[in-house]
Amino acid sequence: MIDIEINKKLNEIFPGDILESLSCNANELYITVNPVNILGICSYINCEMGYPLVSMFANDEISLCENYAIYYVFANRDKGSFLIIKTLIDPSKMSFKSITGKVHAAARYEREIKDLFGLIPLGHPNPKRLVFHGNWPDESFPLRKSFDLKHKPHFAKKTISFGKVISEGVYEIPVGPVHAGIIEPGHFRFSVAGEPIINLEAQLYFVHKGIEKMCEGESIEKCLYISERISGDESFTNSVAYCQAIEKIAKIKIPERAEFTRVIFAELERLTNHLGDLGGICTDVAYGFAAFQFTMMKGWAYGIADELCGMRFLRSVNKLGGVKKDFIAGKELKLIDELGKIRTELRDTVDIMKSNSLFIDRVEHTGLLSKKIATDLNAVGPAARGSGIRYDVRKVFINEAYKQLEFIIPEHNNGDVNCRMNVKIEECYQAIDLILQSLEIMPWGKVLEPIHAVAPYQFAFGITESPRGENIHWVMTGENNTIFRYKIRTPSFCNWPALCHAVKGNIVPDFPLINKSFNLSYAGNDL
Amino acid sequence: MFKIIKKIIKYPRVTQNYPKYPLKSIPFIGKPEIDLEKCTRCGECVKRCPSYAIVLDKEANDIGINYDECVFCSLCEEVCPVGAAQMTTQFELAQKDRNNLRKSTIVIEGRSILDQSYELVSSELKFKIKKTFGRSLHIREVDSGSCNGCDSEINAMSNPFNDIERLGINFVASPRHADMLLVTGTATRNMQRALVKTYNATPDPKLVVAVGACACSGGIFQNTYATSNGIDCIVPVDVYIPGCPPRPQAIIYGILKALDRVK
Repeated sequence: MIDIEINKKLNEIFPGDILESLSCNANELYITVNPVNILGICSYINCEMGYPLVSMFANDEISLCENYAIYYVFANRDKGSFLIIKTLIDPSKMSFKSITGKVHAAARYEREIKDLFGLIPLGHPNPKRLVFHGNWPDESFPLRKSFDLKHKPHFAKKTISFGKVISEGVYEIPVGPVHAGIIEPGHFRFSVAGEPIINLEAQLYFVHKGIEKMCEGESIEKCLYISERISGDESFTNSVAYCQAIEKIAKIKIPERAEFTRVIFAELERLTNHLGDLGGICTDVAYGFAAFQFTMMKGWAYGIADELCGMRFLRSVNKLGGVKKDFIAGKELKLIDELGKIRTELRDTVDIMKSNSLFIDRVEHTGLLSKKIATDLNAVGPAARGSGIRYDVRKVFINEAYKQLEFIIPEHNNGDVNCRMNVKIEECYQAIDLILQSLEIMPWGKVLEPIHAVAPYQFAFGITESPRGENIHWVMTGENNTIFRYKIRTPSFCNWPALCHAVKGNIVPDFPLINKSFNLSYAGNDL
Repeated sequence: MFKIIKKIIKYPRVTQNYPKYPLKSIPFIGKPEIDLEKCTRCGECVKRCPSYAIVLDKEANDIGINYDECVFCSLCEEVCPVGAAQMTTQFELAQKDRNNLRKSTIVIEGRSILDQSYELVSSELKFKIKKTFGRSLHIREVDSGSCNGCDSEINAMSNPFNDIERLGINFVASPRHADMLLVTGTATRNMQRALVKTYNATPDPKLVVAVGACACSGGIFQNTYATSNGIDCIVPVDVYIPGCPPRPQAIIYGILKALDRVK
């Protein structure tokens, strides 16, 4: 119904530009449009209809239709559906119109497409390299099908300049890629006058491994294991997103017990991650006692994971079509016990922590992210919820299990470290509650509906709420149960620019604290 | 304050006394093993292993696992039609020679940084002995392209359960203060220069430990346009710790192995 309305509306406003439309997988509408008017169409959908741009990617479809294709993915966050605008790019042109001027969230996607496909975004305000550093030669574009995965291009010598703030007394602090703490690599260039940060530019992609290229041509089974290793601490939700996409393509409905098992593991992962983040925030304000309390609780949470599946990072739990075996049966009582222990300890620790005025002084009004910027850049997850955006994938793109479970989205509006911290604390309690609710209502039965073969050249989205936020994977299958294209968009990709905005005006020593309150994954961003 | 003291009394000590006593047996997943008696050499696991870690020599009728490449996904156990592949609970897998972890041998070629000279080796031996008795080791962690799983586990080594400082080991902020580099990840194209710089910044004599399948061999991310097959293509490595990711205790075991504090 909605599909027809959208089609009609777009046809009225942009007569002649809508070439083809295809509705599939229950909530995905693909509309092929004329590339000439892409800016108008996208800004209409984004600004007038209010659909945020949640992903954007190119695909080398020369073997299929002799063109490159660019997909602009918009999400309807009220109804839980995707509107995908597709344009075809003629290989003789190798360029497309940039939409960044109107749809700000597109900025990094377009730079990514430029690096990986060599398609030039015309009119992009800042078309510098994103994925590759100075060592990458100009003429190699790995995601084109003609590029060999194992080909290692020569090391070029180019310098990539950073944005400069020029004024009296302004100086730069370069940090990284190897940091003082035990974290992932990234280079930060602070422009500072005195103590406050005027500008921060983050150079990432130090851990770019070429995951998307690696998956192309691999079997759907192997890609499951790769998807678990996109970002270590989000292993489970990443693999669920991948499984969802394949299950949609295979048109299989997974058993209800498997659905609930996935909920339990996803919430366990959220609990573990949030406890770690809270511990990190306490470490960064030098509040040792609370930090150790949280790491102890995180240790208990890992203990639960060990108990349930023998893997601390919940790997090898998912299978295409369900979960590997019934991990929960017989362990319910132990699970309830352990979660109760964590809940009591969490409550006590939060009480102690919040009565410490020195601690509250550090986290309040630090690292403000305004709702406007968060909406513009499509920030997701706890970072967005701390800034007053009430959006949670679990409420909107609802599956069978979450439909039967009750939870509320935390309400915080200030957008500072304190709010993000409170969102995480509340989500910890809710994660525990959700697991307990699931244990109570989950039905008995089988947990796996095996998938042996999928049809070629089909595509679907998988979407999950990872601990860091909305996680969208798009899969297009190839022949013989292989992957033709796998686009991964993790929440970190959306939130990195938001972090760069949030640190402005804060002092340099607060940067680690703000960074920790976002807790973004470098590996998930760099792929 | 009173509440804090109450908590401290409530949890006086949660640290596990590993490696002095073995861990309490919990059903964790360790290395896979193939029972040569049962195995029919059908090659199903070889075909489906996501990191191509299983090698089958049809002529010699021999099969084995390269543990430096294994990602411990337990798929081999699942697909084996006769139940020859089994996951064990053995996790202390660190080895000083990469070939000890492998079925098929490997030779590292084309590395620009050479292994240390004899003078350095002898002084390193002294250093090791001194360190063993001095019981103090300073570690710098370098992530050269991991998925952050290994880094989380390295972080977990300083949590109250493992508390690595009780063994005289602590983490420092700069490679210039470090005796050991703990390297995770596959040495991606963009991190190679940073890794070499960090290596050169660490004063001699130094130890390098590769943590996780990616650092040992590239693991599941082997040989793409942006990755290399293990960090030993870039820098010399003293101890390899396989696992995806290795458990904190497995890393502790590996570090102590580098110091010859465990057999």
